[in-house]
Amino acid sequence: MNGPRFLGFGALFGFALSRARVTDYDTIAGMFRLTDLHLVGVIGSAIATAAVGFWLLRRSGNRTLTGRPIELGARPWRIGALWGGLTFGAGWALSGACPGTALAQVGEGKLAALFTVGGILGGTYLYGRVRSRLGTPAAPARAAAAAS
Amino acid sequence: MYHAIFVSPWPWWVAGPALGLVVVLTAWLGGKGLGVSAAYGSVCAAASRLPVFRQRQFHETWRVWFVAGLPLGGLAAAALGGWFAPSLAYGSLDALTGGSLAARAGLLLAGGLLVGAGAHWAGGCPSGHSLVGIAQGSVASLVATVGFMVAGVVVFNLLVRVLGGLP
Repeated sequence: MNGPRFLGFGALFGFALSRARVTDYDTIAGMFRLTDLHLVGVIGSAIATAAVGFWLLRRSGNRTLTGRPIELGARPWRIGALWGGLTFGAGWALSGACPGTALAQVGEGKLAALFTVGGILGGTYLYGRVRSRLGTPAAPARAAAAAS
Repeated sequence: MYHAIFVSPWPWWVAGPALGLVVVLTAWLGGKGLGVSAAYGSVCAAASRLPVFRQRQFHETWRVWFVAGLPLGGLAAAALGGWFAPSLAYGSLDALTGGSLAARAGLLLAGGLLVGAGAHWAGGCPSGHSLVGIAQGSVASLVATVGFMVAGVVVFNLLVRVLGGLP
């Protein structure tokens, strides 16, 4: 059973998000007003650390500790990345939270984040509905393609 | 040591590498590139028969386990840091919305709607795109992240202006 392991990774990620103050409205506000660049440093150094880690994993054959292949999930280019990214950014500005931090906030006892979580669920559903109406293909299954 | 890990704020050069390390650990020990937004689709998939929600990423149970861990991590951070006190307060947004809970709830709900729709339109959120995607060199992830930031800066500053400024 693999699940509990991922529960642990999620708990570590939530803990780190909280300690990094990504779950703090005022810190997010500081980033968007460009008065507190703490989060820019956090995000930049997180990407750099992950990039070095992925590079090391690739060099050793892209296998887990127990020898199974690693699936990072391919993210092919599509124009939705731009429009969806801008839409997301507008919502991030209004709520001060993203899908991961909203859940970590609920755990921290910031109960107002329950409204954000409800909104994200509603937005996910509405997007699915609109996509179905338009009859356009939805996002390609990200995990389908092999990891780079 | 306890104080440094659980109480005093982490500087960016500790917080960033810590987050990056969790991303790498999830790949090395779990075999997956972590992400959060698809799990919201899993909830929709359980409640709706729309074909859109039949895609594979909405039916991967590890995602749901991962996301269930996030509030536990937040709870641990607040409890071990000694500031766990559940309330509806939400930082300077309280003053920005004139202390009105209804205005705060409406803003968070509206923001959440845009975040949910935007994340699925973009194919990921800051964890999946900005961390896992950019670290893999994905152009889509880089563009999405620029979108997150540009719209965030523009809309937040407009909001502050409309609501009459931060205290």
